[in-house]
Amino acid sequence: MAQPHASDAAHHDDHNHDHHDQPATGIKRWLFATNHKDIGTMYLVFSLIMFFIGGAMAMIIRAELFQPGLQLVDPVFFNQMTTNHALVMIFGAVMPAFVGLANWMIPLQIGAPDMALPRMNNFSFWILPFAFTLLLSTLFVPGGAAAGGWTLYPPLSLQTGDSFPMLIFAIHMMGISSIMGAINVIVTIMNMRAPGMNLLKMPLFAWSWLITAYLLIAVMPVLAGAVTMLLTDHFFKTSFFNAAGGGDPVMFEHIFWFFGHPEVYIMILPAFGIISEILPTFSRKPLFGATSMIYAIASIAFLSFIVWGHHMFVDGMPLAAQLFYMMSTMLIAVPTGVKVFNWTATMWRGSLSFEPPMLFAIAFLFLFSIGGFSGLMLAIVPADFQYNQTYFVVAHFHYVLVPGAIFGIMAGVYYWLPKWTGHMYNMTLAKTHFWLSAIFVNVLFFPQHFLGLAGMPRRIPDYAVQFTDWNMVSSIGGFAFGLSQILFAVVIIQCVRGGQKASSLVWEGTHPAGLEWTLPSPAPYHSFTTAPEIP
Amino acid sequence: MSVALPAIKDAALKRRVRNAALGLACLALAFYFGFIVLLVHHSHH
Repeated sequence: MAQPHASDAAHHDDHNHDHHDQPATGIKRWLFATNHKDIGTMYLVFSLIMFFIGGAMAMIIRAELFQPGLQLVDPVFFNQMTTNHALVMIFGAVMPAFVGLANWMIPLQIGAPDMALPRMNNFSFWILPFAFTLLLSTLFVPGGAAAGGWTLYPPLSLQTGDSFPMLIFAIHMMGISSIMGAINVIVTIMNMRAPGMNLLKMPLFAWSWLITAYLLIAVMPVLAGAVTMLLTDHFFKTSFFNAAGGGDPVMFEHIFWFFGHPEVYIMILPAFGIISEILPTFSRKPLFGATSMIYAIASIAFLSFIVWGHHMFVDGMPLAAQLFYMMSTMLIAVPTGVKVFNWTATMWRGSLSFEPPMLFAIAFLFLFSIGGFSGLMLAIVPADFQYNQTYFVVAHFHYVLVPGAIFGIMAGVYYWLPKWTGHMYNMTLAKTHFWLSAIFVNVLFFPQHFLGLAGMPRRIPDYAVQFTDWNMVSSIGGFAFGLSQILFAVVIIQCVRGGQKASSLVWEGTHPAGLEWTLPSPAPYHSFTTAPEIP
Repeated sequence: MSVALPAIKDAALKRRVRNAALGLACLALAFYFGFIVLLVHHSHH
């Protein structure tokens, strides 16, 4: 990875005086923002708000499941909560958080003055508040919001009430936003790298985003196509997925998961990039096998396109197809294993220190691996016949997405926050946030493995009494995990408002790779108006 | 726009950026319409 020049910070300071582009004041700064840092900040703030809204929905789910029987909400509303919790967390919290991190960090890491297409960047952000206002407003229309699961399988999803076209339009807008964001990332990385920064010198976070952006461009239009066809089935009497009219509902599942499985990797590959930045810094060693890490990410991205059938084993498919999807899914463990072993080797005999980003990165390593292992279990066809539609699946993908993707985001925020704000944050509070999160995420999700193996179905508001104890434990973990996240917001707000001044290196005593550390903290409004020198 | 952009002054770079963006947008549109056409074709057989 590129090592910065020692003189670059001073070099940059000289150039700071050469231009006078300062942020606009008031609402115009945000409404008409074209600066990658402003847009990155807006994405991150938006994602945090969505994280709390999606989290509130999760609290309703866990409160209802605290005991058997129906206590708090009616079953239809419960189903609306599970559906919208997923849509909000996936499209509103996790994806925009990674786009925010990409906006902030990619120009800094590749030595560019800004993203290549700043106006499109503005547009791709500002679509999102409208999309999610539309999505959340479906909760208040007659018939309620979508309640058939985030997968929108017909014919169930076609029974959605007046909110159906609003849902479809919201999904289209989210897709357009993601595609524009992805185009911007690819064009920026391919055209705006500082002279001398060849692709193999590029930091792993930028690499992981480059591959993710190609995945986005390939699969988001597929989702958009699928939901457009749902719309025409609903309103224009087409029968793409309507068996009564000669259509095929299973075809929707194929198209959805052709999008849906790469989508999982869209939510985890940038986290891989972040972890690959943090572990070397706090191990005080270079990343072990950096080039193999890039090939591993690319291999995982390729494999993500050919494994979608493992979501549909119980639909019934030819034995050859079952074997193909099972084997290809298990094959993903090979490049993922390369990454996990490389991260472990990076830490091996390193001079470790345990600042908040490192704590989250280590927790990611252990807990994401649990999600990976349960994924391997689900890949085995006869075992999947048993696990399908149970809480085991819920436990699996929450281990991948919460201590995986979300811990990755939190690790990245704690790593770069002083660079963004110019202040160090409250380490004690951040470590408290970490320990509470790491403990309660396991209290929340680990018992769901037991529930699933014992046969508790997912997406139900009531359950048989033998599942009571572990549901209570899981709900207590859920409430505690949810409350712990308030600390995350407190740490960020305190850090934005002030605190001990951060140096340009931020993490003293480490030798982090990457051009971002050559800039002063906070990073100046326009990052590299003159291209930095890459040795 | 109220905020001045650090303009890309190099005309060749500007052209590369524009062409790359248009190319990728066309690719996304091709996937979108391609899948719909594929399904229309599938539903007729």
